[in-house]
Amino acid sequence: MTVVRDPSVKPLLEGRGVTKRFGGLVAVQSVDFAVYPQEMVGLIGPNGSGKTTLFDCLSRVQSIDEGRVLFKGIDITSKKPHSVAHLGMARTFQVIRVYRKLTVLENMLVSRQWRGETIWSQLRPSQADTEERARELINFLSLEHLTLEPAGTLSGGQRRLLELGMALMPDPDLILLDEAASGVNPTLVETIKDRIRRLNEERGKAFLIVEHDMRFISDLCTRVYVLNYGEKLAEGTPEEVMEDEAVIEAYFGT
Amino acid sequence: MSTTVTPTRPPAPVAPVSRARWVRRIVLLVLVIALFLIPAITRIEGQTLVSNSLLFRFTQMFMLITLASDWNLTGGFTGYVDFGHAVFFGVGAYGTGILMGHGWAFPPALFAGAVFAVVFAYMIGFPTLRLRGPYFSIAMLGTFVAMREIVRVSKGITGGGVGLTLPPYLNRPLFYYLTLILAIIVVGVMWWIRRSEFGASLIAIREDEVGAEMRGIRTTLHKITAFAIAAFFTGLVGGLWAYQNTFIDPDLVFIESRTVELVMMSMLGGLGTVAGPPLGAATIYWMRDVVWKNFADYHLLAEGAILIGIVLFVPAGIMGALGDRSGTSIQRVWKRWMGGAAGEGEP
Repeated sequence: MTVVRDPSVKPLLEGRGVTKRFGGLVAVQSVDFAVYPQEMVGLIGPNGSGKTTLFDCLSRVQSIDEGRVLFKGIDITSKKPHSVAHLGMARTFQVIRVYRKLTVLENMLVSRQWRGETIWSQLRPSQADTEERARELINFLSLEHLTLEPAGTLSGGQRRLLELGMALMPDPDLILLDEAASGVNPTLVETIKDRIRRLNEERGKAFLIVEHDMRFISDLCTRVYVLNYGEKLAEGTPEEVMEDEAVIEAYFGT
Repeated sequence: MSTTVTPTRPPAPVAPVSRARWVRRIVLLVLVIALFLIPAITRIEGQTLVSNSLLFRFTQMFMLITLASDWNLTGGFTGYVDFGHAVFFGVGAYGTGILMGHGWAFPPALFAGAVFAVVFAYMIGFPTLRLRGPYFSIAMLGTFVAMREIVRVSKGITGGGVGLTLPPYLNRPLFYYLTLILAIIVVGVMWWIRRSEFGASLIAIREDEVGAEMRGIRTTLHKITAFAIAAFFTGLVGGLWAYQNTFIDPDLVFIESRTVELVMMSMLGGLGTVAGPPLGAATIYWMRDVVWKNFADYHLLAEGAILIGIVLFVPAGIMGALGDRSGTSIQRVWKRWMGGAAGEGEP
């Protein structure tokens, strides 16, 4: 069974023949994909299959060698990372990136995105409503006891949560999650899952999720893409993909 | 009965102002008032108010405080360790000197000199701020050395190696107050920047530039703005210094040690903090002036030893030793660049 979709709905994010090479190595090879509004899509594959590279291409820290990427119908293939972020795409990172010397609150505040704002307007101290939103999200992620601590003193799992908060801060329409649950204790994973589901159901956020834990993917996603050696190996619902012979072979060998 | 409920926002949480903070404020206020009164209350035998040599020494210190704070904006907050920052001092000094030579009055010439420094910062910042870590530092050092030679060979405009003489003007209280006010303004500006979103995003750039860019911070714009703000104030100091000194030549203005001094002062005080560079500048200036002038031959040796000592033992400087954890160190900044991504595992 494939997902039936109203053809008039335009994808939120669409990649056409996206290719990325590192010298002779083809990290991502003409991959086509689409994420529709309010959809949760999984992206899986063995280690080194090009998932994170694809994310880097989407958030434009890596150049795209061939193909095009459209976000909200706008071609972002050669846009700067900050302008992609301003359009409403946020991401988290496999290797955690928080600003260690800033406090948790400051980390959140600088992650609100300044679309069309001038330096001049940033020379004010943060606005009360921005701070309120940051504190709300910090509570949402149960980090309130650490609000004024430098992020460098947080544990790995707490930093993952902070990263998720930083991604949510600008109120994006699409969030790319790169192994948001790795290194987080099981109870917290359930919390993260629940938060993601609520964000999707209550606020209509779309997610593209890279994860090694298949349960995490099958609990959340309606559709899954499988990458192997940079190529798209399969796509479908989590159940279909898990029964796909080629996928089983790629993961477990023969 | 219907009552209109005005939506009231809960009062924004105000950080409790601790007693220590009040004490700090009062001490700072007393210090500033004392500094304003010094010209009126000091008398040195055989010297008039106008030629008071104590005022001259304070003036030097205020300039260093300003310069160290400027350097800290790019080197400490943004993490771009600039080994050629004195180039803006030179541009300011020569801008002021050349214009005064053409008959301009001091105030407009001073301002124009600082504007030249800003223009120069934009020109040089766009290529060099793309470089990272030590590469940026070396490129700025190269810019600085190149600029000295450009000034030396442009005899028609700058007077070349012979130098420029400015209209002599001896008025130490005037320079005292000008540099004092400038230092207060600059430290105030740095304090304001640090608590603004702009300042936080500069630190975000220092901590993780790629991440900052992906989270929507326009990193190029932020870096170049910080660079230009620092260049403006540094240019002002250059112009003031030129007028006070009444003579400039390339070897007097473009001295490598001027930048090294600023790096050392910022490091001693605490990189990336507001109070650090002024503290470091004052400490080093008075140590030099009061203590080491009696040991003339050894003071450079001692200073070198201090620099090594800071790097090895108190990388976060005085402010770091006092428990301010928001600062950084050169090791940390460079390690981050050389280590690539987010530098996991290092506090």
